[in-house]
Amino acid sequence: MKFEVTGSRVRELRLARELSQGDVAAAMGVSRQTINSIETGKYVPSLPLAIGLARFFGLPVEEIFHVDKS
Amino acid sequence: MSTRVDRRAAFWATPAVGVLGGVALGVGALIGGHPMLGLVAFSIMALLSAGVVLLARRSETIQGLLDRRDERISSIDLRATAASGLLTTVAIVVAAIVELARGRDGAPFTWLGAIAGIGYLAALLVLRVRG
Repeated sequence: MKFEVTGSRVRELRLARELSQGDVAAAMGVSRQTINSIETGKYVPSLPLAIGLARFFGLPVEEIFHVDKS
Repeated sequence: MSTRVDRRAAFWATPAVGVLGGVALGVGALIGGHPMLGLVAFSIMALLSAGVVLLARRSETIQGLLDRRDERISSIDLRATAASGLLTTVAIVVAAIVELARGRDGAPFTWLGAIAGIGYLAALLVLRVRG
């Protein structure tokens, strides 16, 4: 069984808090491009970064990232 | 504090290696009796290193390549390094084949190919043991 990240709510959560990609990037210690890539589904973050984002938004990881079995 | 120092050290590691490489090339050329070639080689490496440092202020990608903070850029760097290594290995193997077809012993390409293969196996073994 393989799990695959098929999308995320990072953009939605960020916009709801009126934050820029740069704000989230600075809080996570990554580049703005990386936050953009996560939002557009081009890049799947590592587990530490996914947990960091979950803590940043105050939600469980599975409520931010959509994971499907394949 | 130590993280900040580590990041600063990581940031300067690549340009420092570039300058040291330039010095090594320069000394090599000087020993071989080509001081001007050595000076040109050193200048190119030093200018490239300085250019990378200056561009890092404007480019997130170059900044990420130098300070290693960004996991995505580090991952891209890793894949680019692997692609570059593969391309170099293919070129070495092709050159060895051409040399052998010309009736020569294939040196130094056969040795370089062997180093690439053994290096890959050694890295595979070490990385597998380390988990």
